Amino acid sequence: MNAEGLESFRDFVDNRSSALLKTAVLLCGGDLYAGEDLLQNALAKAAGRWQRIDEPEAYVRRILYRQQVSRWRLKWRRREVSVAEPPEAGAGADAAAAAELRLVMRQALSRLTARQRTVLVLRYFEDLPEADVARLLGCSVGTVRSTTHRSLARLRVLAPELAALGLADVELQPSRDYSPVEVRP
Amino acid sequence: MNVEELLHDALREQAAEQPPAGPGFADRVLAVRRRRRNRRIASVAAATAAVVAMAVAVPLLDSGKDDVRPSGVVEQKGVKAHPSQSPPRDLIAAGNTALAAYYVPNMVKRSATEAVDERSYWLLDQKTGKYVKAPQWSIVAVAPGMKTAAVLEKTLPASRIGLLDLTTGKVVRWIQVDHGVAGLEFSHDGRKLVATTYGGNPDEAVKPKGSNGWMGKQPSSRTGFYVFDVGSGKGSWSEVKLGADASDIMGAGFINSRQDFSLTRDGRYIWAGSPVGNIGKQFWDLTGAAMPVPGNQKYLDWSVEALDSPSGNLVAGGFAGKKWHTSSYVVDATTGKKTEIRGQQLLAWADDKTLVAWDIGKGAKESEYHQRLVLVAIGSGKEVPLSGFRKDSGTNPDNSSGRWEPVFAER
Repeated sequence: MNAEGLESFRDFVDNRSSALLKTAVLLCGGDLYAGEDLLQNALAKAAGRWQRIDEPEAYVRRILYRQQVSRWRLKWRRREVSVAEPPEAGAGADAAAAAELRLVMRQALSRLTARQRTVLVLRYFEDLPEADVARLLGCSVGTVRSTTHRSLARLRVLAPELAALGLADVELQPSRDYSPVEVRP
Repeated sequence: MNVEELLHDALREQAAEQPPAGPGFADRVLAVRRRRRNRRIASVAAATAAVVAMAVAVPLLDSGKDDVRPSGVVEQKGVKAHPSQSPPRDLIAAGNTALAAYYVPNMVKRSATEAVDERSYWLLDQKTGKYVKAPQWSIVAVAPGMKTAAVLEKTLPASRIGLLDLTTGKVVRWIQVDHGVAGLEFSHDGRKLVATTYGGNPDEAVKPKGSNGWMGKQPSSRTGFYVFDVGSGKGSWSEVKLGADASDIMGAGFINSRQDFSLTRDGRYIWAGSPVGNIGKQFWDLTGAAMPVPGNQKYLDWSVEALDSPSGNLVAGGFAGKKWHTSSYVVDATTGKKTEIRGQQLLAWADDKTLVAWDIGKGAKESEYHQRLVLVAIGSGKEVPLSGFRKDSGTNPDNSSGRWEPVFAER
């Protein structure tokens, strides 16, 4: 990489690393250090061919997702996941209950496999249609769909609180349509 | 609210709480690249390269007198495995290769920003078949036949090289050097020893401002190499100058702070890895004159410890991961055709079709670094465990507890 490439690489990292880190941390189940590690690895890979990459952000994101689903490549160790303290009671019973549910959800997310979590982050954080997720992860749309379904089911098993709080019948409710363009595998 | 909506909200809330990436993140990334290369070379430097299929004659060092003893006197050619031992206590061997030694790396901090990546060695005691700590050495290379080792004392670069008789545990000769030595490698026939010279300790590490990891000091202080005749202890030094861009980690001439030389299998050339350059390696003749890559070395990959097969027809390649979750390529040295084989990282050839490798256990949750030694074979989906699992050091680059690095030699 020449001086120009190095400068462009530094610019990209300075401008985009905070946003990329958010995704990376979510992919790692809320573990900030593992997320940083994941992002560092992805950026290090991208740096190796920086001047041949047309769309750096798309390229780095693709490495992020793919690295995370082939976890053996990562220097990764499962850590206790620290979550923010639950809000003080008094903020309103409903708000407190909702905040508590989100914390329960985070903990359940951190216990999914990397692949399950990656699919959920892509679908429900990045709001990508199934076809895009399939393309990014190099699998079929059918696989994305079945992984999403199984991951959601797993969340409910891991967090019985979700059921206890009246979400047991979630299967019966219409789900949000994140996939406006249907592509057959 | 259903689970999907809750998931959507929970992920957004969690993302919003993330602190921004700290300043100097780009430098940390660049440091990661450099550190990774340093790690790769660290294990390459210590692992005695590959094995030769035939029994070779190795000079036995006995009070300076040359006595050539065939290494083939070691009759056991079967597999010696200890799948419960990590690090190993008793001899591990397969085919023509044996775990002659291992070392435990340890990043010893000198200050908040300076450290030295030191090694503690355990050598095979020929009489008991057990590994015994040898705290006096910083670098150990074991000759084919496992009768002789070349050793350096603790302070690197060292001003003398010891030739250790592994049957008695005594140094039978000291070779004094004018240029400080920090890397050692025997030739495949055991008759020559290549010593890499450095102006400073190549295992010194620094922690740049804003970085959370150690990286080798740059530019590398490598100065050249000696080639010694093991029998007589005589040799000469050749200078190898660094490229102009040797300290630019993106530059084609960049080398690791430790980037040791070794001899090619046929003993005709000196070579070393070139982590950034397109070719990935550099060759010199024995006087230090740069050479183009010899035709039969085109696919040799310095970052894969096993290097070329005993016949020279195959070359150990990098990670594959297609047919199996963890697997590697074996490459035809002439055509470049790749064959997938079990094993995460190929370490040494047991014979022309069988290798010792690191591999992880079964299961999706296995960490990349929770590995054991296994025996793998071309055309076989099976692997035979040879050692216990070494511990995963996690994401902390300073934590080497439970880690050990093998040193293989032909037996």
